[in-house]
Amino acid sequence: MAALAATATPGDLKAALANAGYVADESLASAVWLSRALGRPLLLEGDAGVGKTALALAVAEASGARLIRLQCFDGLDLAQASYEWNYGRQLMAIRLSEADGTRLRAEDLYTRDYLLERPLLQALSQDGPCVLLIDEVDRADEAFEAYLLEALAEYQVTVPELGTIRARQIPQVFLTSNGTRDLSDALRRRCLYHWLDYPTLEREIAIVTARVPQADQQLVVDAVQFLQRLRRQDLVKTPGVAETLDWIRALHQLHHTTLPDDLLALLSTLGCVLKTREDRFKVGLEEVRQLCETQAPAGVAEALSSSLR
Amino acid sequence: MNGDAPLSAARPASARIAAFAGYLREYGYTLGVAETADLLQSAEWLSAAPPRLVRHAWRSLVCRHPSEWAQWDDLYARFWHPERVKGTVKVTGRTVARRDLRAAVADLQESLSGASSAPTPDAAARPSSGSLDTPDASPAASDSLGAAMGGASRVDPLHDRSQTMWWPDDLTQLQLLARQIARAFRPLRTRRFVPHPHADRLDVRGTLRRSTADGGALLQPVWRTHRRVTPSLWLFVDVSRSMEAHAALYLRVARAFVREADARVFVFHTQITEVTALLRRDSGRIQEKINAVTAGFGGGTRIADCLNTFARGEGRSALRRGARLWILSDGYDTGEPSDLTAALQGLRRAGSQVVWFHPTRTTALSTALSGARRLIDVMLPLASLQDLQAAAPRLR
Repeated sequence: MAALAATATPGDLKAALANAGYVADESLASAVWLSRALGRPLLLEGDAGVGKTALALAVAEASGARLIRLQCFDGLDLAQASYEWNYGRQLMAIRLSEADGTRLRAEDLYTRDYLLERPLLQALSQDGPCVLLIDEVDRADEAFEAYLLEALAEYQVTVPELGTIRARQIPQVFLTSNGTRDLSDALRRRCLYHWLDYPTLEREIAIVTARVPQADQQLVVDAVQFLQRLRRQDLVKTPGVAETLDWIRALHQLHHTTLPDDLLALLSTLGCVLKTREDRFKVGLEEVRQLCETQAPAGVAEALSSSLR
Repeated sequence: MNGDAPLSAARPASARIAAFAGYLREYGYTLGVAETADLLQSAEWLSAAPPRLVRHAWRSLVCRHPSEWAQWDDLYARFWHPERVKGTVKVTGRTVARRDLRAAVADLQESLSGASSAPTPDAAARPSSGSLDTPDASPAASDSLGAAMGGASRVDPLHDRSQTMWWPDDLTQLQLLARQIARAFRPLRTRRFVPHPHADRLDVRGTLRRSTADGGALLQPVWRTHRRVTPSLWLFVDVSRSMEAHAALYLRVARAFVREADARVFVFHTQITEVTALLRRDSGRIQEKINAVTAGFGGGTRIADCLNTFARGEGRSALRRGARLWILSDGYDTGEPSDLTAALQGLRRAGSQVVWFHPTRTTALSTALSGARRLIDVMLPLASLQDLQAAAPRLR
């Protein structure tokens, strides 16, 4: 795939993302475009499964950039995120120098050769285009967030023994958060922001069609309509786009071309979208029947059926 | 530029954009000089693009939180296209009080003095947060507000709606109060460990790992301490007929704690249902839900049955030691009085702390509640924001 030009417009970006299999709306494409233009990180917030991580993957693919991913977790520290000295190699060098009888100075041991580059430093050290995905940043500690400030604002990492390492080429940075904890204002200020909501009916059909092209179109329309209605229920875990894709793949694997008429069969596949015990309990046979019987909103159904024809 | 373009006003575009930045600041957006410069820069880059792209781009540039994100379209339209904004309420008389320093100082003094001080005529003209700080508008209080002066009054339509009329300032105040209370929760010590530079327990594994940098010499000890977590908060809001007048306040309180303390909220009358997911979303749907739940249930409340249902369901797997259970109810139970005692015993068995909020000044006198009093850690009145403020020190 041809790399996305630096002068690309939001429209070009949207088209490139579509080629990479990601259906972005105008608002999202504008946010990504501005993030590229200003060279600032983009913080993506939204419920799980709405396509935050997938966006970074798609941008990397669309722009022909290398994707470097930093998965955050409770207890993530500098050694795992940025860099660590290769102690084993340093010891070996000392032993070898002792055996050879050569003189080894301390400065010789603290060079880039003995530095293990972790995702942050890797991203800053790239010569070519690079997309850095800092996934689920809300799972990391506040201390790590503070460390990120330097890396994301100045695109540099300070290694006390070496000095400051500046980015050769500013990477495109995406941070994702599921909102399990509030991020600091300082981090938010350094980022552009986009709230990724659940997609509209039309956009979700387009997403599924792009990602699961082998599925029957009628099945896609029926299943997406069903899920859009399901999202309006009071669920503990509202199914996202990822669940929609899983479910339609499962239905396709079961050789369905529309939603099965047998409600028990339909209910048995809902494990793909309902991920908690409470939700499974809440959505029973009667609820599934009601969800299937509810008509699509006027206008949308006609537009969809005409698009199918 | 065409007439739809945001930068097409008679004044220079930079001045208009700077004014827009100032307008956003008034609504709580944090925009510095750098952000304003970015607004200008992006507008220049997108000058040839459709105006809606500028709106999308600016949204990403300016918003920091989901609440700001949700508010953006409305604010943008009000500033750049006020002629297109329809159906808004036009306010005459005193407006934009915050721009007036004297009015702001008066508001501050009023909020500090609380409901005890007599409201000034100016304050009476605009029902501010003070109106909500008054627990229940008594007839005497309404007289003092100057109501029913020969049938013409500026406050009459509002004085008896203290529980339903909410101004943005009140919601902000409630949110801040909820944040303050949530932050004051005493953290619980867990069995897991986390590294901590000032702890007194040696992390042997970590120390050995770090010692490789020094050729195996244990020169840099690593310390660890018990991980501490914030206790979980569970709210049970009584929405039966007897609590109809208080449900609005209690649900707003619940929503504030959902946002600030990640609380889980259940509403109950003769049945119990969780509304946490709704409280995280828009407010209109919450009201619909509550209306639906409360409608047609005049038979009373079954507090004990509802708590038992919770204990058998979500409570069985989710209740942990130190969990805070807040029950917001008048305590009138149509079930057997002894049932409530048994239900609370079941809930406390997991090590939970029970706080009971009642809407009356004095402690509720229902038989069920009197019998179960020993199982309730704290009983607190809650009929206004002022009550919640007063209760804050006891909710740690």
